[in-house]
Amino acid sequence: MSWYRNSRKYHKWLMLFVGFQFVVWSVSGAFMVIFDLDYIHGDSLIVNEPGVLNKSQINYSIAKLYRHYPNAKNVELTNLQGNAVYRFSNDKGKHLLNADTGSLLSPINENYAVGIAKYSYIQPDTAIKQVSLITENPPFELSARHLPVWRVDFEGFSNPSLYISTLTGEIVTKRHLFWRIFDWMFSFHVMDYVEEDASNKLLFVFIVLSLVASLFGLILTYFYVFKRNSNKKKIVKESV
Amino acid sequence: MKLVKCLHKWLSVLVAIQLFIWLGSGLFFNLMDSTKAKGNENLVSNLAVKKIDHKRLLEPSYILSQFNKEQPQKPVNSIKLIQLIDQPYYLLNHYLGLYQHFYNEHSLVNAYTGEMKTIDKIMAQTLAISTYSGRGNIGVTERISPPIDDFPKEKNIVWRVNFDDELYTSVYIDASSGRVVGHSNDDKRFADFFFMLHFMDYGTLGSFNNWQIILFSILTLMFCITGFVWTLDLLIKGRYKIR
Repeated sequence: MSWYRNSRKYHKWLMLFVGFQFVVWSVSGAFMVIFDLDYIHGDSLIVNEPGVLNKSQINYSIAKLYRHYPNAKNVELTNLQGNAVYRFSNDKGKHLLNADTGSLLSPINENYAVGIAKYSYIQPDTAIKQVSLITENPPFELSARHLPVWRVDFEGFSNPSLYISTLTGEIVTKRHLFWRIFDWMFSFHVMDYVEEDASNKLLFVFIVLSLVASLFGLILTYFYVFKRNSNKKKIVKESV
Repeated sequence: MKLVKCLHKWLSVLVAIQLFIWLGSGLFFNLMDSTKAKGNENLVSNLAVKKIDHKRLLEPSYILSQFNKEQPQKPVNSIKLIQLIDQPYYLLNHYLGLYQHFYNEHSLVNAYTGEMKTIDKIMAQTLAISTYSGRGNIGVTERISPPIDDFPKEKNIVWRVNFDDELYTSVYIDASSGRVVGHSNDDKRFADFFFMLHFMDYGTLGSFNNWQIILFSILTLMFCITGFVWTLDLLIKGRYKIR
């Protein structure tokens, strides 16, 4: 049998098995490259206006802080919703303090979390659909290291959610429909539907078969397109 | 069906090379050692820190008012107590990027004395050494502006400290904050080359949202769908026969 006929046979048969994965790769690949990654990350869901520190708001000194919390680490003085706050960690976890009075703000309550979410959300008047406290078993879109968090779901066609740490008041994660689709696309792209790890055996088998199938396809391209004129009669005869 | 077949044939000419690049680099990602590809072979995992003498610390509110007096045009968004080479500093943020690798603006102030500190070559080298566990000696040290080949997403000016080890490790230090941007070495550079190919990121912008990949992804999508329809057509016509 000729190169042409063999290639045609093997391309046809191999693609019966891996052809669908080619569609999956190209659909998921196209989705991932067309949507801007910053948009996928939800960067456009929030305003990034940190607010300037004002000395008149800082009446609780770092010396006092260390007296109350001698093992404090990673101390940071920053702005939260227009108020100066301290963030720090110690062996008991992360904490948030009012920098004016020194009163402990963490863990923040629901109202406070909603306030932060509204303050940061790109459209401040958007209605909130649901607020929930997550202390364990985080959803797939949230890393467990951020727990505990308040999840604030906004109205809107892309179902945006902001996750706010109850201990620091920081927005630790932002998610929306397109991130969730992207995540699915990625797992289908690497053929690992649980761990999303590209070094799996299934992917290996499919890539190798796909490479072989594509090489036969390349031979067909050569015959069809580049030897088209000289071989036209022959190909017509053989394909009958 | 004739159109589908015609499209499939001609699209194959257009996407062939890139399709093999995608499959080849995909195979590489499948088989590569992902730990090595991170470039952290010589990265110290736990940085030892000296205890800060709290009694010697200046008050952040004092630092703030001093800074506002000296440089009133620069707003201060936050003051963070950090440690660089056993010395506490207040890290003042003047422009906050959404992420650390986005554009940020910082000042460093000695937390004991209140002196302004600029990260010079010697300090960058000392910082780099403190994160480096390899046996190489320090080579060329340069202050470079983005784009940075080893970290194309980084938007801040960095110090690049090269080491003459077998992997040609480079350590990157954020020039305004002293943050360790990361380590890179020849293992990472080798893997990055395949990422560049897979993402068609020929301008090495560290992104897969470029026009050439969008164009090729759409062509490839059409190529795969026409091929799939062709396969279905063959199935329906009973052309898959086991003899």
